[in-house]
Amino acid sequence: MTNDNSNEVLQEASNSEGMIKIQNLKKSFGKANVLKGITTTIKKGEKVVIIGPSGSGKSTILRCTNLLEEPTSGEIWLDGKLINEVDPYNHDDILKISSTFKKLTAEGYSEELALAEIKNNILIKSDFKEGREFVKAKKEFKKANSININEARARMGMVFQHFNLFNNLTVIQNMILAPVQLKRKTKEEAIADAEKLLDRIGLLDKRDVYPSTLSGGQKQRIAIVRSLCMNPEIMLFDEPTSALDPEMVGEVLDLIQELANEGMTMIIVTHEMGFAKKIGTRVMFVDQGLVAESGTPEELFGNPKNARLKDFLSKVLY
Amino acid sequence: MNAWDIFIRQFIEKEGYTLVLQGLGTTLIIAVAGLAIGLIIGSILAIVKIIPGKNPFLLVLQRFADVYVALFRGTPMVVQLLVVHFVLFPSLGIHILSEIEGTIAFGLNSAAYVCEIMRGGILSIDKGQTEAGRSLGLSYSTTMIKIVIPQAIKNVIPTMGNEFISLVKETSVLSFIAVVDVTKAFQTMANSSYEYVVPYLMLAVVYLVIVLIATFVIRILERRLRASDKR
Ligand SMILES: Nc1ncnc2c1ncn2[C@@H]1O[C@H](COP(=O)(O)OP(=O)(O)OP(=O)(O)O)[C@@H](O)[C@H]1O
Ligand SMILES: [Mg+2]
Repeated sequence: MTNDNSNEVLQEASNSEGMIKIQNLKKSFGKANVLKGITTTIKKGEKVVIIGPSGSGKSTILRCTNLLEEPTSGEIWLDGKLINEVDPYNHDDILKISSTFKKLTAEGYSEELALAEIKNNILIKSDFKEGREFVKAKKEFKKANSININEARARMGMVFQHFNLFNNLTVIQNMILAPVQLKRKTKEEAIADAEKLLDRIGLLDKRDVYPSTLSGGQKQRIAIVRSLCMNPEIMLFDEPTSALDPEMVGEVLDLIQELANEGMTMIIVTHEMGFAKKIGTRVMFVDQGLVAESGTPEELFGNPKNARLKDFLSKVLY
Repeated sequence: MNAWDIFIRQFIEKEGYTLVLQGLGTTLIIAVAGLAIGLIIGSILAIVKIIPGKNPFLLVLQRFADVYVALFRGTPMVVQLLVVHFVLFPSLGIHILSEIEGTIAFGLNSAAYVCEIMRGGILSIDKGQTEAGRSLGLSYSTTMIKIVIPQAIKNVIPTMGNEFISLVKETSVLSFIAVVDVTKAFQTMANSSYEYVVPYLMLAVVYLVIVLIATFVIRILERRLRASDKR
């Protein structure tokens, strides 16, 4: 449980050192609490690698980051702008307007105690019980600090385990669809840029074929450059090589490494420990919905402290 | 005279063929127009059912779509035809051609089936397609229109073909509301000559030929669409 008050959060989030700020992110599916409070800041140019056992919530972190999954609570900030719902738990100012807070202080609680009581005993169950001002405060906060989700997603590229190229479109159509639809580029510009990217990955000859005719490695490299067509500020990779035949893993990792070298900010979920060590500026070990240990690759792989991380590494590194 | 000669005489000399051709035209027009109406209304219903969201207006529409589908799939076509002809239009005080009433009845009926077919088609598209679209910043509607629905349509073409085929066959109940379709035409010939064997066998052949042609066309369409992925 973090205790930032709203001003602090605002300052930190908007000084844009942190390109992405994940604030006490929790996610449940029904009764399963998959993420139990993830807080981290990803700075521009960082390459954060997320490792951890299967089912620990790695994909869920990425999917909440671009809101493919709606966080149960917590906040996601992109470049100083909130992209999901306001979470009053992260803003004491908003909590102080709630009728629960007023009731508690009237009962003689100090402000800190009242806030702690609200936060720890989860008194807030539904918004309207907290009074109109509370709802208004939340709305105002959102209005002042939020950006539209589609806008945010356009600035975050996502690469999936199963590529997800659009099956009904050719390679070039896959690449130009979003930039043209979202009026980021004219059709001619989009085509020119897409061709440059295809040329760069040596697949210009596949320009007009449908995805079903491509190999896994080709599909994934095209999926990556399709994201690049939107000129994203950050790229999210969810196990980009897990669905590939071993001989194709290299070509995809090489492309990701190249982007990394060019300074792209990245969050990468991977089971390729060698790659994690090489590309990561920071590695986070996620276990049972929490960041159990985090640090440089040297620290995490060379001198793991967490018992479960040691156990995990002993299994994946043979 | 044998049965065949009787039929031929009636068909050609007594101009039975004009009646049959007219009936055939009515059958085909009502089936095609019915399917067209069904495709439009059915697709709208399918989309209404699929849109996620908690908007109260949307929830009401979704409830309506559920009831609509249950109603039209849960009662026989003949009953729907009778209700449209004898209850719906009279109670609205509207007098129109029985052919138009028939088209509307078949269109409304077909919409319920098309809705379920389209919904199944959309749901069968891998969630990853939508997620990729949304993660690029495309809106829900753009993702549906540009990515999901085109793939869904391709997948449902054979099933839509089957829907058309059953629609053609079902139109044989149109005579219940005094529309002269191809069934009624042959029936009229049979009744006036008291010779039933050839007219009814011919009627069966006519339906069979329509169905075979439709099947053939659907198969070509399917093959052409499938080829388009594999260039
Ligand atoms: N949409 C969903 N509905 C219900 N449960 C889900 C959903 N998505 C994920 N989960 C559950 O959440 C947990 C974490 O899933 P997640 O995919 O984030 O794990 P992961 O760390 O990426 O695992 P893996 O290494 O196998 O990809 C799992 O137990 C999974 O079953
Ligand atoms: Mg995963």
